[in-house]
Amino acid sequence: MMTMDTDQAVQYLDGLIGRQLRVHTTDSRMFVGIFKCTDAERNIILANSLEYRLPTPSAIQAAADSWEKNSGAPSATIKVNMTHRLIGLIVVPGRHITKIELE
Amino acid sequence: MVGRKLHVTGPRSACPNHFFRPQPPPLTPRSICFLPNFVYKLHNPLRCCRITRFECPPRQVAPSAPRRDITAEFTEAASKLRTGQLVKDETFTLFEAVGALEIMDSKMDSGYIAPGENQAQALEDDYDVRRELTPEEVVGLMDQLLCHEMAWHMGHPLSQTLFTSIYLDKLLSPVPRTMEDARFDRVPSESTLVSLVLRAYCLAMVKACDYVHARVAVEYYYEEEDFVTQLYNRNLLSVFDGSHFYRLLDQAVAWVDEQKDIDKKLKDAIRCRLLFRYDFLAALDQDLDILETRATDSFTACLSHLDELKESHSLGKSVPEAFSLKIQRKLASTVPPRPIVHISHEDALAHSKRLCQDAIDIVQILDYRGPTNFKTAIWTLMSRKPQPSVYIRCLIQALIVSDMTILGAVSVKQFLFDDLAELVLPCSILLEANTDDVELPSDPRFQIARHMDGFVKRFAQPFVDSVRCSCLNRCRVRRTVCHTVVDWDSLQMEAEELDLQLQALSGEPPLQIGGGEPTYSYPLSSWAYHQKLTQLRLILQMGFELAIYSPEELPGMYWYLSHICSTHLGHLDRIRTFMVAARRRDLTSTSNRAADASRRASAFHKSFRCLERLTTHLIAVDAFAIALHALYVLLARHKILPSASGSDAYSTDKLRYEIRMKPFLPISLPELVPFEEYQREATLEGDTDSTILERASKAITEARKAWEATLSLGAFIEDPSVDTQTPATAIEADWQRNIKDTMRACIGASIAIEMVKKNLSTEKKLELQVTIAEIGTKSRWHDWWSVPQVAQKPAP
Repeated sequence: MMTMDTDQAVQYLDGLIGRQLRVHTTDSRMFVGIFKCTDAERNIILANSLEYRLPTPSAIQAAADSWEKNSGAPSATIKVNMTHRLIGLIVVPGRHITKIELE
Repeated sequence: MVGRKLHVTGPRSACPNHFFRPQPPPLTPRSICFLPNFVYKLHNPLRCCRITRFECPPRQVAPSAPRRDITAEFTEAASKLRTGQLVKDETFTLFEAVGALEIMDSKMDSGYIAPGENQAQALEDDYDVRRELTPEEVVGLMDQLLCHEMAWHMGHPLSQTLFTSIYLDKLLSPVPRTMEDARFDRVPSESTLVSLVLRAYCLAMVKACDYVHARVAVEYYYEEEDFVTQLYNRNLLSVFDGSHFYRLLDQAVAWVDEQKDIDKKLKDAIRCRLLFRYDFLAALDQDLDILETRATDSFTACLSHLDELKESHSLGKSVPEAFSLKIQRKLASTVPPRPIVHISHEDALAHSKRLCQDAIDIVQILDYRGPTNFKTAIWTLMSRKPQPSVYIRCLIQALIVSDMTILGAVSVKQFLFDDLAELVLPCSILLEANTDDVELPSDPRFQIARHMDGFVKRFAQPFVDSVRCSCLNRCRVRRTVCHTVVDWDSLQMEAEELDLQLQALSGEPPLQIGGGEPTYSYPLSSWAYHQKLTQLRLILQMGFELAIYSPEELPGMYWYLSHICSTHLGHLDRIRTFMVAARRRDLTSTSNRAADASRRASAFHKSFRCLERLTTHLIAVDAFAIALHALYVLLARHKILPSASGSDAYSTDKLRYEIRMKPFLPISLPELVPFEEYQREATLEGDTDSTILERASKAITEARKAWEATLSLGAFIEDPSVDTQTPATAIEADWQRNIKDTMRACIGASIAIEMVKKNLSTEKKLELQVTIAEIGTKSRWHDWWSVPQVAQKPAP
């Protein structure tokens, strides 16, 4: 990747404003929201965010059970939705961010 | 699970059931669409939107939207920014940014899980909802849930009260599609006490909350001030019909009755709690149907259970581990995590008791017996201390007016006309003309009716709102009236215009009063002015109730109160003069048939009586205000009146007066008293101590007599022609207590006056100690009357 100068950096980030980002954090959560603001420390403000979290073991068990119940046979792979909830306007501190994705 | 690959899917809008579903927007209060052409929008907070914390749902992502990892680019770009440099959305302000919740901060981030905290345990408590419970624990849980329910009624959010219950969490999440689904676990507990009894209790409680939520959310209340309607994207079983819940409760009661091995006392305790739920649900289920049924038996039954609930509370064993703050990690909430609210069982029962009692007494306001009685009943009920709970206040709002109808019986227009007839226009052509009888547009009666319809369009809403306003919380009542009184000022001017047109149409002869210019009655604007003066008085009196005035302001505020009263009395005199003239004309007019004559006589009689009641009451308020004004002037003059501000405070009487009178600046009538005049009048400049004492003694004697007279006139205007289903005995008792408390305050004031008199005559410097009892203390006899207690200074 080519290196950017400050103007390019600002231009690049500016182009992301208003886009939907997925920000992963060190505690394995993921936040999906509209990118509003960032700074030199990579702190990210997202609006209208949803918090996604890996399902708990009991939820996985429940999904597995219902799969078995419906299909009658155990499956090697099951799909479980991540649990999510609306939390609104958030700031994710840069030091806790592990991954940023653009939708 | 062993050996299976786990595939966790991320957000997919292709599966709409799992996507965030927004809360329905707060329903528009019905009265916003009340009168379509209504222009009355100024300052009326009743019409303002409530602050809500709902946010728009995010844009839906296309199911197959390509996703790109931009971590590296982003990180590099961000690192090129200078410290303090921001890249931001143009419309996004730093002010907004302050409101953002900081992720990974334990104080802000409700989803934060501390390092080392087990992920599974952090979200799900180890608490087993299927475990067997002892009857003692069931009682304990039910009582704890009731406490949380009442805490919610008192204004705490669900996230800190009921939604901390693990049992409720299991019932409501994921959202049950059928009643069958609404259970604690996929496999029901083997303990019937849990799977039937506790479940029935919880479900009926959630449904009760649903009814309360549904009522409050559509009325005027202040979010987070009175009540929190936020449901955190959960649902209070609103789709399920009440009958399911009664059936479940019936089953639970039947099962409990059959049990042989549960201790009798505990059996009764559980049974009683289930019955309470049944009756409470039925009571709330009734809602506006009370207009039809007039039934209070469900609430009465609830009341009858409360004693037993109290007695058997000690049998219960609390299960604190069945409640957890961790559930907040799963609630859709834009606020930081907050602690569980604990209220005592005693407080919860006291709150339920008041709620039930107030609800029972509501039935006493349901018979429409004329506007004055109606307004008195509403105001008296709403002035109860402590103030009726938000549910009751919202229910009464809906009863006062829904679908353009007062109490489900009288049209808004009729209500307005009744009030006009009572105060200014008995048997007037203005109120009797209508376009149905006279269809000829050139006929004055046709035109009068058209004008009056315009009047109704303009005035009905603010008039009804002025009644409904008393259902707000007390601080908001005063605040709202401060705003609406300004609107009434312009309404009065509009009414005056109408009066001019109407007097030409009705051919009203002018009247010469006191040798002055001939003048007309101006009935509509007189009526509007009366409303405004009543509101001005209310603002002052509620100022005392809400402890707004500092002690040094008391002389001035009581002077101002008496000033408003005497202005009002003068206005009533004017109305009376014109009514007497109208009656005289009415008697001499030849067209009267006998039957009609008696109807007219009784209408005039009613209006005169109404004026007399108002006058008596105003004289009483006025006299008491004069007495307290004089007394406070003496105390201030001799520098024994306590003061809230220090001697070097940056406050002067003038500045204080300016601030106090600010809400009234835009009002043209009555004119604002200029500070200099106010200063002269309020300090009784030029009067000697003995003159002032004399004034105080005389006024207080008169006040006591006038309050006696007010009391003997009773709370309501008796009208034998009106059929009364439910006499308002409880409300009348409240009203009488209120007047008697005022009379007690009068006696307190006479004692204080005597004390000052005794000491003034004997010595030069007053060695007296003055205390002003605070609201809610025993020696504050009445909220509206701040009476000083004067005592000898203890010898040093």
